[in-house]
Amino acid sequence: MECVVQGIIETQHVEALETLLQGLCGAPKERVRVHELCLKSGPNLGVVPSEVRLLCDLALPTPTWTVRHVGGAVRGAAAEQICVQVRQVTESKASNNVLRFFYALGYKLDHELLKVGFAFRLQRGAQITVTVTSAYKMPKLHSTDEAVLITPSIQLVEITAPAAADNYNEVVSAVTSLCEHLAPLLHLSKPGVSTGIVPTAAAAAASLMLNSGGKTL
Amino acid sequence: MEMGGGAAPPQGQQQPPPGAAAEAAAAPRPAAERLNAAVVQQLNLESVKTRALGLDKAISRILGDFDAYARANSSPKWQDVIGQFSMVSMELFNIVEDIKKVSKAFAVYPRNVSAENAAILPVMLSSKLLPEMEAEDNTKREQLLYGITNLPIHTQIEKLKARIDMIGSACEAAEKVIADCRKAYGLASRQGPSLVPTLDKVQAAKIQEQENLLRAAVNFGEGLRMPGDQRQLPSSLPSHLVDVLSFGDNTQNFGDNSGVYSKNTPAFTSNAVNNQGTPIQAPGAQQIGRSAPSPSGVSGTGNFDNASTPPMPYANSPRSSTNMMNTPSPQQQLQQQLQQQQQQRQKMMQVPSQHQQQLHSQQQLRPSSTPGVLGQSTMSQLHDLQGQAQQKLQQLPGQHQMQYSQSLSQHFQNRQMQSMQQNMAQNQLNQGSQLRSHLSQFTGAGNNALLNAAQASPNSQMSSFTFKKSKPLTSLRAMDILMYIADKVMQNLFGLNGGHPQRNHASQMLNDQMFGMGASNPSSMVGMQQQQQSVFGNMQTNVQNLQPGMVTLPNPTQNPNFPQQRQQNQQ
Repeated sequence: MECVVQGIIETQHVEALETLLQGLCGAPKERVRVHELCLKSGPNLGVVPSEVRLLCDLALPTPTWTVRHVGGAVRGAAAEQICVQVRQVTESKASNNVLRFFYALGYKLDHELLKVGFAFRLQRGAQITVTVTSAYKMPKLHSTDEAVLITPSIQLVEITAPAAADNYNEVVSAVTSLCEHLAPLLHLSKPGVSTGIVPTAAAAAASLMLNSGGKTL
Repeated sequence: MEMGGGAAPPQGQQQPPPGAAAEAAAAPRPAAERLNAAVVQQLNLESVKTRALGLDKAISRILGDFDAYARANSSPKWQDVIGQFSMVSMELFNIVEDIKKVSKAFAVYPRNVSAENAAILPVMLSSKLLPEMEAEDNTKREQLLYGITNLPIHTQIEKLKARIDMIGSACEAAEKVIADCRKAYGLASRQGPSLVPTLDKVQAAKIQEQENLLRAAVNFGEGLRMPGDQRQLPSSLPSHLVDVLSFGDNTQNFGDNSGVYSKNTPAFTSNAVNNQGTPIQAPGAQQIGRSAPSPSGVSGTGNFDNASTPPMPYANSPRSSTNMMNTPSPQQQLQQQLQQQQQQRQKMMQVPSQHQQQLHSQQQLRPSSTPGVLGQSTMSQLHDLQGQAQQKLQQLPGQHQMQYSQSLSQHFQNRQMQSMQQNMAQNQLNQGSQLRSHLSQFTGAGNNALLNAAQASPNSQMSSFTFKKSKPLTSLRAMDILMYIADKVMQNLFGLNGGHPQRNHASQMLNDQMFGMGASNPSSMVGMQQQQQSVFGNMQTNVQNLQPGMVTLPNPTQNPNFPQQRQQNQQ
């Protein structure tokens, strides 16, 4: 399981967000360049199509593949009260022929996108990963070199934290507290829930950049 | 307060009962107040004092008794003791009650006296300040009254009042200034400055739209799906996909699942001899003799590398022995087949026949073994594996190296023996990535085809065999793994596809003849053996090694149909 929130931030404020996260995290940021292929199962594998995401990490010299399946979110009254989405996620590393394997199984490519950005890993009550990426689409199949930004002026911020069934409350509270820390810059919400940008973002970004001027990270 | 003013000698009024109320007017005070006469009377201090003293005596008497008890080491009579205690406590209670009525206003008395606080109580009850506090008080007073102490009191009072007024007015002025400034800077509301420019509607709408776009794209893939006509592999794949998707593999995932099967299917070149002309659909683009794809092309079934596949389910392999029975192909025939296979791109004709063979043997063998169960049948079938490997050798269209070296065969056998239980699959699995493709072929196409056929009526299999092109891998059956291993082994023994056009003629001949033996005919086998030994000197040991495997094949005896069918084929 994982707890996840998403938000958007204008590209002009990303640097300020990075500064803020650097301050919160302490460790340097990690580059993120992920080619995400979303596969949908064919009819032979069941009535309900399932979706599998293959993530190819292109930031490293040798690409590494990850298989990821995102399950359903926790529902219920309790789930509605928290502003974090808790959902089932299964992830695993895979060898580089995982794509062929899934094709052999009968999965078909549904869509693909490229995410480029950075990520911070924090330990604040739970292992939290904050990823700030801009999403690219590929006009031609698999043409990661010719990828085009989907939304040039807006980037996606995603905060995820793995959780277990018995401790997800703590993880939720850790993520929520981090969201409050980031409140001056961006609103975070469950995936699929639209937030808009925060009016104080500009001021907060300005103050962050002012304070960090001259700081070497 | 009942305390009256006036100065009076404090000594006259000071008769504080021990441990009882303390007088508010302390002796050191120069201007001690005097208690109101009425209060004094009411308080009846004299009597209180007398009673307190009497109580004190009683308590000390009791304590002395206890002391005597302790020394005499005898236990007191508890009833008496308790009686005395109760008397004492009642007396104390009465005293306190009397005082309480009167002295509530100005006297305090201890409530909970215990051993710990009995010593400190008088100090705590005293209203006299601690020395340092008193000194501090004095200095402050001096500061305050500096310059006016010599004046009469009322003057002092007036001056102090004037000072208070001045301070008050100064405070008011300051508050006014703050309020004015607050209003001037817009800080009047408690929410703080609202100097943030609000987004105008247009901008907000634009941002909202972009946000929806982004969220939909990332979470659900909206706007990223390409129409079918654009879904063709580009000529230049990014580096991380080059290995994964080999170019020209048009059997992409987009609905066509046989792409995997179409690759690296040279092993599928089953005997055309056995092709009974049944209407068999060939999976598209199956290429025998195709140049070896990139190593990753084989990787379509890379997962099998890591899978600790069940041990030797190839016991069920239909290729065991049936192939040998079913491939009496003379060398010419084989050559013809190979040539055809080399030229054609579609090799599905061979696949079904081989599958048929496998199917038959599978039929026979399957009931006897379960996946993962190794028994003697497995052992024999391992030998079958060798036979199959040989058969494959002849099926390959001359692209593999027929280096049927003794060491290899021996190694093959040894490994079979040793690692029968578990390592067999893994050892062979580890042999090369190219061999993995076979699994995909087998497990995918072969699996379904064979399984379906196996489940169908045995007799009608030949005719009803249909190779479904798009049947994906639904389960990894033991048989499939065994077949895969067989392929791998063969590949390993005889080289990889598509890079080794050399063909060991002699070995092919050997294989042909060996396969032509037909396990159902031991006598002929013997004859063949002799032939082979004479012809292929260096291969003798190989033949010998193989023969035991062949001999132990149980299949020939179990497949009565095959000889007949084979005969039909050969005709």
